[in-house]
Amino acid sequence: MIEFEHVCKKFKGHTVIPDLSFKIEDGDFVAIIGASGCGKTTTLKMINRLISPTSGKILIDGENIAHKDVIALRRNMGYAIQQTGLFPHLTVRKNIEMIPRIQKKDPAEIEKNTQALMKMVGLDPQNFLDRYPKELSGGQQQRVGVARAFATDPKIILMDEPFSALDPITREGLQDKLLDLQAELKKTIVFVTHDMDEAIKLADRIIIMDHGQLVQYDTPENILKNPANEFVAQFVGHKRIWGSPDFIKAEDIMIEHPIGCSPELTLFRCLEQMRNRNVDSLMVVKDGILQGILTAKQALAEPDRSVKARSIMTQNVLHVAPQDTILDVLHLMNENHVSTIPVLDKSHTLMGLITRSSLVATMSSQFFETEAI
Amino acid sequence: MGGFLSYMQQNQAQIFSLTLEHIRLTAISVGIAILIGIPLGILICYIKRLSKPVLGVASVIQAIPSMAMLGFAIPFLGIGTLPAIICVILYSLLPIIKNTATGIESINPQMVEAAHGIGLTRFQVLTKVQIPLALPVIMAGVRISAVTAVGLMTIAAFIGAGGLGYLVFSGIRTVNTNQILAGAIPACILALLIDFLLGLVEKLVTPISLQKTNPRAHRSIQRTRKLQKGILGVFCILLILVFGVNIFSTKQKSAKTITVGSKDFTEQMILSNMVSDYIQNKTDITVHCKENLGGSQVCFSALKSGDIDLYVEYSGTAYADLLKHKPISDVSKVYNTTKNELKSKFDIDTLNQMNFNNTYTVAVKKDTAQKYHLKTLSDLAKVGSQLRIGTTLEFLNREDGLPGLMKKYNFQFAKTTGLDGSPRYVALENRETDVVDAFSTDGLLKKFNLVTLEDDKHFFPPYYAIPLVRGKTLEKYPELSPLLKELGAHLTNSIMQQLNYEVDEQQKKPSDVAHSFLVKEGLINRTAK
Repeated sequence: MIEFEHVCKKFKGHTVIPDLSFKIEDGDFVAIIGASGCGKTTTLKMINRLISPTSGKILIDGENIAHKDVIALRRNMGYAIQQTGLFPHLTVRKNIEMIPRIQKKDPAEIEKNTQALMKMVGLDPQNFLDRYPKELSGGQQQRVGVARAFATDPKIILMDEPFSALDPITREGLQDKLLDLQAELKKTIVFVTHDMDEAIKLADRIIIMDHGQLVQYDTPENILKNPANEFVAQFVGHKRIWGSPDFIKAEDIMIEHPIGCSPELTLFRCLEQMRNRNVDSLMVVKDGILQGILTAKQALAEPDRSVKARSIMTQNVLHVAPQDTILDVLHLMNENHVSTIPVLDKSHTLMGLITRSSLVATMSSQFFETEAI
Repeated sequence: MGGFLSYMQQNQAQIFSLTLEHIRLTAISVGIAILIGIPLGILICYIKRLSKPVLGVASVIQAIPSMAMLGFAIPFLGIGTLPAIICVILYSLLPIIKNTATGIESINPQMVEAAHGIGLTRFQVLTKVQIPLALPVIMAGVRISAVTAVGLMTIAAFIGAGGLGYLVFSGIRTVNTNQILAGAIPACILALLIDFLLGLVEKLVTPISLQKTNPRAHRSIQRTRKLQKGILGVFCILLILVFGVNIFSTKQKSAKTITVGSKDFTEQMILSNMVSDYIQNKTDITVHCKENLGGSQVCFSALKSGDIDLYVEYSGTAYADLLKHKPISDVSKVYNTTKNELKSKFDIDTLNQMNFNNTYTVAVKKDTAQKYHLKTLSDLAKVGSQLRIGTTLEFLNREDGLPGLMKKYNFQFAKTTGLDGSPRYVALENRETDVVDAFSTDGLLKKFNLVTLEDDKHFFPPYYAIPLVRGKTLEKYPELSPLLKELGAHLTNSIMQQLNYEVDEQQKKPSDVAHSFLVKEGLINRTAK
């Protein structure tokens, strides 16, 4: 666990970070994001003591890192930066094995480890180990950089915009690779980036910083949906969420308090209700539990208007859960040619309703600046 | 050209040994400069506020004329190899320090930070990242230094350091073009060779990945590298041999050794060779010769410091120049005062005067003498204001030289120019000057067919040759005194002029001239050399 306790950093009297406190749990992938100059890289470099705080404490597993041996501290942490971080005069092998060799580990062990690392980052060891960084493409160099960060099998890995200099396609590939690695190895990763998409894609939690202050520290989903303030909202952008439709849940787009009726209501009353509310169907609800749906078409087809809703409503209707995503909803609608889907929780309590028109309204918000979600 | 080649052939042993000496001195100097310069360069990268003072001092040192620096070093370090090496080290420092600092500072700071970030210690960052990456730039600095050092070492012959400069200097003194070339050409070749070899080193230390070539050509680079390493290996072995030979020859020195010095003109070289040859022949003492030690002050400093044990001075020079008395023309007073004061002040013994008086004289070309009807210095004084004089720097500044002369005869020259020994004859030949100072035994007087003017007012003090010996040396080898007395008796003005002429005009080697004279006079056996 990494803890920042009231950390303050001043450079020559200029305060970069006034007072920063947060915790990173073991195995979490945390992205630190913010505009340039917001103090995100400074924060990262304080973790491996490339920069020391002016005041405050940084604890790793409860121990103040200021009292630890700095070299041992760094060797127990992976560190990857943009491709400039590789040593150009050394081969890929020597770059990766730099620290293990200094630590005089068993050569056979090192060799085995290096081979494994190369495979892990998706580079053929035979082909690449004895080449120099200059002979590799940007993406390949960055893979080597990541491999080097994992070389001492550290618990914590720090990454400072490792993919920012790469073209989008290569970057995607490396991000996917990193996600796979993280799923398998479960390291604590602190990842500095200025790319919100990258942060949302990779991180378990995101720290948003502005002028040295932590503005919001939350899961990507919550940051997208509930920006802590105008700054975060601006930074995240209203349309951002459309890049991650997984985060748009049924409960976010449903119409709350849909028009409902009791199973005991007569058709006459039901039709009147529909007319008054300008809807073409009613949710039949008893004690909050959905019993069925009554459409205007069904009601009009019944000559006897004194019949109760319960007797002609459609039962066992298609429904979605509040946590289902917009994609699930669209899927269901298209497959079953329905225009309304109720949102029910586990006990079939009616939470809301999604209709074709409510979907259109939601989706149009990515093209028009209207607050729909 | 043919003359040059035959000179090279005749003197190949000497040229070879001087070249080896030159290499040895340069290698030591540059080696030490590297050992000092690289750490200093690294230091100023870490302690920024040292950067300006260190580079400033190094720049100032490099701006000092080399002659001035060598002259300045004599009082502190004496003569010979030590001050020469130290001066060359000082000159070599700037490029090495500067390139080391530049090389290290130009490394991408982000990469250095990454090196720290992955857990390298400061020292490891230095040795594993910074130095390997800066090495090509550092080597470029070393290369500049080494090539400059070869040239500087030539000038160091001025204070008796030896090396190829010896040939250049004595060549200039004796107007012997072949000798100058015999020193200058090997020095040039040496400089080019060192430049080439260090160029190879520079390439070899540049990481393959940083060389400006097609990355696919690595294999062929590796092949070339093998060849380059081979060449360097061969030269390394040669260098070690040079040092080995030196150590071997040093071991041959016997315990009974004295060193004879000489100033930087022909007569002195003949005398020092003659004295060495004679002593070596008549005693079991091993004699070393340190020729070409610049002017009187250099020789005298060397004698005081013990760098040399003996050299032949001139009584007037010792009296006026070394002991700072006003020049006088009384022969016995000059000798006795000199003898007493040198002994009491410096514990230096003055042996018996030799039989020749190499006093100053003033000479003109024959046609000049006819044109102005010049026979004596009084004649010269009458027309002096129309004439230009080109003299040695020493004569120009000495009380018993030009200033005193002009005072005594009460006249001024139209122009006075200070020149080095032999070039002043050339200037006279080229009619850039009209009058020249000369020594009365100077063989060049004969060579250039000049008229010497009589000192009718007896201005010039006596300049009898007097061997000066360190007190301790004479105590150890009292036999030196009678030996040199006997030798001195054979040396008269006309004989000296003849011997000088043989060297200056006939381009014989001073050692040969000295040796054949000793043999001819029956002082030593022919076979004994």
